[in-house]
Parts: sequence; C-alpha cells; structure tokens
Amino acid sequence: MSIITMVRKILVLSVLAMALAAPSTYAQTAPASAVDPASIQALKDMGAFLQTLKRFRVSTELTGERVLTDGQKLQHTATADMDVERPNKIRALMHSARSERELVYDGKTVTLYAPAQKYYSTVEFTDTIGKLIERLEERYGVELPLADLFLWGTPAASVDKIESGMNAGQDFVGDDLCDHYAFRQAKADWQIWITTGSRPRPRKVVITSRTDEARPQSISLIEWNLKPSFKDTVFKFTPPKGASRIEIVPVKTK
Amino acid sequence: MMRPFGKLLPASLAALVLTSFSIAPDADAAAARGGGGGGARAAGGGGGARAGGGGSGGARQSAQVDNSRADTRTNNVRSTSVNNVNNVNVDRDVNVNVEGHGGCCGGWDNDYHPVAAAAAVGSAIAVTSAVVGSMVRSVPPNCVPVNYGGMVYQQCGSTWYQPQGSQYVVVNPPY
Repeated sequence: MSIITMVRKILVLSVLAMALAAPSTYAQTAPASAVDPASIQALKDMGAFLQTLKRFRVSTELTGERVLTDGQKLQHTATADMDVERPNKIRALMHSARSERELVYDGKTVTLYAPAQKYYSTVEFTDTIGKLIERLEERYGVELPLADLFLWGTPAASVDKIESGMNAGQDFVGDDLCDHYAFRQAKADWQIWITTGSRPRPRKVVITSRTDEARPQSISLIEWNLKPSFKDTVFKFTPPKGASRIEIVPVKTK
Repeated sequence: MMRPFGKLLPASLAALVLTSFSIAPDADAAAARGGGGGGARAAGGGGGARAGGGGSGGARQSAQVDNSRADTRTNNVRSTSVNNVNNVNVDRDVNVNVEGHGGCCGGWDNDYHPVAAAAAVGSAIAVTSAVVGSMVRSVPPNCVPVNYGGMVYQQCGSTWYQPQGSQYVVVNPPY
C-alpha cells in the first residue's frame, strides 16, 4: 500500500471514528460501577472454598512470555506439581527446560533442592504456607507456583485493589464448564476461569502485565485432585545419596 | 444447582480414569526427551515418580537441553518486561531484585536465564575473567555452589557460572 492510500485510509477511518463517537456515549452508561459486585462475590466464594481444602494435589502448566528489546515476544513453558496439606505443609516440584527444582516444607524447615546438581539448601521456618510464600519471596526471591491459590480467601488477597471486574460469560477449560471473569488492578489485567458448581476452584488464570507496552502475559492451566493419595512423608526432605547442602543467600533489597 | 454438580462428579472421575490417556502425548514427548520419564507425569493424580524426588529428574536429565544454537538475540530481554506476571496477590513492589541478574521474568518460572540480559539492561557490568555468555563443560575445582533467588550458581572467584543443561554458562554476578 502506498503512503498516500494509507493516509487517505487513515483519514477516512478518523472521520468514521468521529461519526461513531456520538453513539458510543450510551455505552458508557451501562455499568453503574466498573467493579461488578457479583464478580467480586465469585472471587470471594472461590477463596472461601479454597480455604476449606485441607489436603490436595494441584498441577499447573504455565506459559510465560518475555519481551525482547525490540518488542518481539518469546514464550516459554514450565510445569509444577504441588502436594499440599494446610496449614503448613507443601511439596512443590517445578520443572522446565531450564531447570528442575523442588521445594519441601514440613512446617518446621523448608528445603530447596536442585535434583540435577544434587544441591539443597535448608532454612528453618514455622508458619502457614501463606506466610512462607511471603517470606520466601521477600527474603530469598523465591516464588512458589500459583502463589495466589494460598492467598485467595485471606486478607492478603484484598479485593479492594480491584479497579474493574466483570463477568465474561462461560467457557470450557478442558471438560470443565467455568465462569469466566476479567479484572483490572494496579499494573495488571487478569482473567480467571472458575469451575461452576458447588466446588468453585480456579481452572485457568491469565495475567497480563501493563508495565510493558508489549503486554507480556502468563497463562496457567490448573488441574485439581481433591482426594490425593500422597503420604505424609512427601513433606519430609531426606537428602538423596550424594546430595550436598549449600548456602542460600538472601536477596538484596532494593 | 444439583445438575451441574452431578455432572461434575462423573466428569472428575472420568478425568481420573482418563489421566493416563490424556497425558499420553506428553508422556510420548517426555519419552522422546528422556526415555521413560513420561511415566512419572502420567502418575500425576497419585504423586508418582515425579513426587519421588531426585530419582525422577534422572530420567529426564538423560535428554539434555541444548541451547547452543539459540540466536543471541533471544538474550536481549528488555527490563520493562522483568516484572512478575505470575500472580496478582504477591506484592512485588515490596522487595527484591533478583531479575535483571540472569533471571528475566519474575515469577516462579524465572529459571529462564538469558545470560546477556543483565548486560543488555545495563545493570552490573561484570568484571570477570571469563566472557559472560560463554559455555564451559565443567567448572574449576575451586568453585563454591550457592543458591541465590532459588537458582544454583557456582562462584569461582570473580567468575560466576550457572548450570545450563549439562554445561555451565558464565553469568554476571547475581549479587
């Protein structure tokens, strides 16, 4: 397309846009509030249900994006399996082409293990999984997969930060019929697919960052097992043969 | 209300039964990568081999990831994208700066470590004897392993290495 035809097209489009501007005013009157109360309630119900789960296994497959200097995006994937027993036991296995890591917490000590190198680091900690998440991130820069799962339904997941919330209809995730909600808060847009029925749990989460104009996002598909068969021993880290303990260095704070 | 719930139960049962089938393509892929590693994931419902610890990694490790042919441009991750987009409730303003030093994207998947990224975003210019980004098969004997930001590094004097597949890559000092 020549520059001139392009300019002409843009002109025509602008005129069209101006012409369309007037009717668009009625669209603005539709929602009384940007935050749909029913969508917030759905989040609260899900959070309340999640807090009732004492023992479960959850698996996730994450697709993440990174943005190159010129704005081109590359995707990468990672998976994680977590065995959980509230309030203070968790074992997480994180795997990707770049690394494999394990995190084991038995309520007294938390261990990070790198199976490929057979190195582990152990620190003492006694609190809930929610507090562990906070502390690990703050002190060691270590994040747990699906950290939100342990924060929804607690004060740490304040719905007050949500600036916009809407019901986006229903959608299938795998075979599960879900209610689809879309929220905006701070520098993130996010979407959640919550399974319909009496056990509302997040089946898919998409988070879009607005800090970069390329809007990198993560997509997490979540699978649940509410009647897991794992034993209590999964929460106990026993150093495998040949494994050695190494120091873990706290991250520098900004 | 009863109906969707009633529908849900058989569905989850079916999901359990079907686990081995639905994961099958993945198991194939894993088998192609690591020879038999896939079986571990198929056990997902029950906490199988992958939950078993060190041993599970072994199978997969036999298929080493090789990034030697990756274009160097893939390392030029820009700094504005280093914000965690993995969760909405963990306050990322509070604290740390692990990104930009080898990790890139925040979040628990920040195991992606484009080595030149730190240089590209202008942080911490390395003064090392080895060229950042270069690969070695093994590290010198005087190295000390350390976990920083959840990642294992080898510090060898002023030179830092990070495992990448079966090799090591020289990175900027993480801290």
